[in-house]
Amino acid sequence: MDAVEKANTERQRRWVKDKKVGEGTYAVVYQGREASTGRKVAIKKIKVGQFKDGLDMSAIREVKFLRELKHQNVIELLDVFSSKTNLNLVLEFLDSDLEMIIKDRALVFLPADIKSWMAMTFRGLEFCHRNHVLHRDLKPNNLLIASNGELKIADFGLARDFADPGYKMTCQVITRWYRPPELLFGSRYYSSAVDIWSVGCIFAELMLRIPYLPGESDMDQLKTIFRALGTPTEEEWPGHTKLPDYVPVGQFQKFPMRDLFTAASADTLNLLSKCMIYEPRKRISAREALTHPYFFALPNPTFPSKLPKCSTHFSARPLDEVDGNVQMNSTGPGVKARSLKRKLTSSDDGSEGRNRSIARRLDFSKHTPGS
Amino acid sequence: MSPAVINEAPPSEKKLSLYEASTQCRNWRYSTERLAQIRATLNEAAVTIIRTKIETDEPGSSRNVSFLTPNEEVLLVKLYISKIGQLCGYFRFPEEVEATAITYMKRFYLQNTVMDWHPKNVMLTALFLATKTTNNPISLEQYTTHIPKTTPNDVLDLEFLIAQSLGFEFAVWHAHRALWGIWLDIQNLPDGAALASAEYDAALARVRASRLTDAELIYTPSQIALAAFSLVAPDSAARWITLKNLSESATLLAVLDEIKSMIAHQGLPPDVESVREVDRRLKLCKNPEKVVGSKAYLARKKEEERIAEEKRTKKAELQKAAVNDEQDPFGTNLAPKKGLVDYDDDDDDD
Repeated sequence: MDAVEKANTERQRRWVKDKKVGEGTYAVVYQGREASTGRKVAIKKIKVGQFKDGLDMSAIREVKFLRELKHQNVIELLDVFSSKTNLNLVLEFLDSDLEMIIKDRALVFLPADIKSWMAMTFRGLEFCHRNHVLHRDLKPNNLLIASNGELKIADFGLARDFADPGYKMTCQVITRWYRPPELLFGSRYYSSAVDIWSVGCIFAELMLRIPYLPGESDMDQLKTIFRALGTPTEEEWPGHTKLPDYVPVGQFQKFPMRDLFTAASADTLNLLSKCMIYEPRKRISAREALTHPYFFALPNPTFPSKLPKCSTHFSARPLDEVDGNVQMNSTGPGVKARSLKRKLTSSDDGSEGRNRSIARRLDFSKHTPGS
Repeated sequence: MSPAVINEAPPSEKKLSLYEASTQCRNWRYSTERLAQIRATLNEAAVTIIRTKIETDEPGSSRNVSFLTPNEEVLLVKLYISKIGQLCGYFRFPEEVEATAITYMKRFYLQNTVMDWHPKNVMLTALFLATKTTNNPISLEQYTTHIPKTTPNDVLDLEFLIAQSLGFEFAVWHAHRALWGIWLDIQNLPDGAALASAEYDAALARVRASRLTDAELIYTPSQIALAAFSLVAPDSAARWITLKNLSESATLLAVLDEIKSMIAHQGLPPDVESVREVDRRLKLCKNPEKVVGSKAYLARKKEEERIAEEKRTKKAELQKAAVNDEQDPFGTNLAPKKGLVDYDDDDDDD
């Protein structure tokens, strides 16, 4: 056996897959552990054989960036190994994500909790941007939460290095509700400001407990944004009418943020509005955000381990959400299936999962053979 | 209170620069001696294995085989590195693709030997992989139709091996980027704007020449860029060094001299005739297991088949057992199963 193969086999032996916890179109996620220590990990197995162009781009992006980025608020890639035509990414195991926490109606968020999550998000993002990496898919279910409460940015499948000025990038990135107006208008030259817009949307969602700008189509997304923040003027955002896909979508008055975020402090609204400035060059940067007065005013951010925690964890999720012939729309630890739609029904998610798992176990008619 | 309290990072920990934190700096930098040692070890191990294989195939036949030396291996790799530029010109790939593919080639041959894997195939795959890792992907079909006598499978077969040999560390920091930075800096100097862009182009040519050497495995991208720049514009380079308060650094000056001499002496494509002789001998001393159709190759395939078959049988049995279990209407699995078997796994990789 070649030395390289041998090294791979050794790596492979270090990790044990215990159970499948998620499946998407291009990856299967297992909960596993390190054989020698028992440390819990998530193993994301990417099926490579099915791609006619070999290793696929999202896998390559994810591996490329996570190999370089080591930060408390960025998910850690512990190892990579291959098995036949599969690529296995060993990631640190994380219990839940911010989306699950937002949707858990049993939890009450204090302003200090939100401040803590925001600080961790900005810290992780500042590190990515400092390393010239654009994430391009920030949303609550890509912000994972460790058992000690720490938040980690995950899923770098759409990430890329900053392009040189004048070098085109695709505008088909970022999940719609978190996508900034410059991308919706088809801008091919953009910057780290696109991620900041997404963080602004997440910030608002933490306060509202529902998505802030849930557009139903790309066109509707622009309308939704303008209905909330007012249609931009040429003065506010010079040149935006010249963007490739610009279309007038109607004149809307700015809806005062204060009326929607009734309980928010002035500092809070100031930082939020700076994340949602139309002109990307004026939008606050992650580094500036970290020194914003919001983070220095009382209340102090909650210590991570004291943050509200989800009652359900990935590991405790019933298997029927993730196996067999069921449409996959849950996320795995540390990773998630691609092109997932968020469920909007959120009333009693916490208990729903458990009820369903019991119902399924008693319902013999629903067995899928060989599952 | 500052947000610093949120994460309790040890304050004493030294903050690494971007480069120092990179996999390139941590895992892919060597001393000249270490490089030679790695290559010698790889070469020796390969020769031992191949000699044994040839002997099992036909006893006594290895006596007349003249195996490649480490330097000959490097020479052959260098020839194919010099061909990457031509291919990139043809496809109009950006400079980053070219530089990355070259780095992949060099790193690959610090884990493998040309007697196992011929650099021609490795080059084609390394280049294809580099288009993807630098975010300049093209379809495999488009790629192979423009390369004579190459099928998509020729490229795909090695992709995994190459990715593995690189340790899946795809990000590379390049000297030509550092050169661009120095060039921007220099234009900011009081009389820097007077510099002709011809000087930048000339320096870039030296950086490209450095890709044919081991420089990037020994020095940092900015050291290489600065050496290249000082080869063509020593005065400007000296001013830049002063600007950065480095003119007192004896280490830097020594390093620059080493790189300059490396570029001057090794920065040329190898003489094709001498490489041809190496390639001819390689045909005789290649690992027979990797030569399609040879006895050793067939034996290895057969063994692989046998193991795969064994695994399939085992898996089928497990699956059968699982189905039986499920069919019991009073199934005992109300409690979560322990030591769950991976039935849904679509392969048998464990």
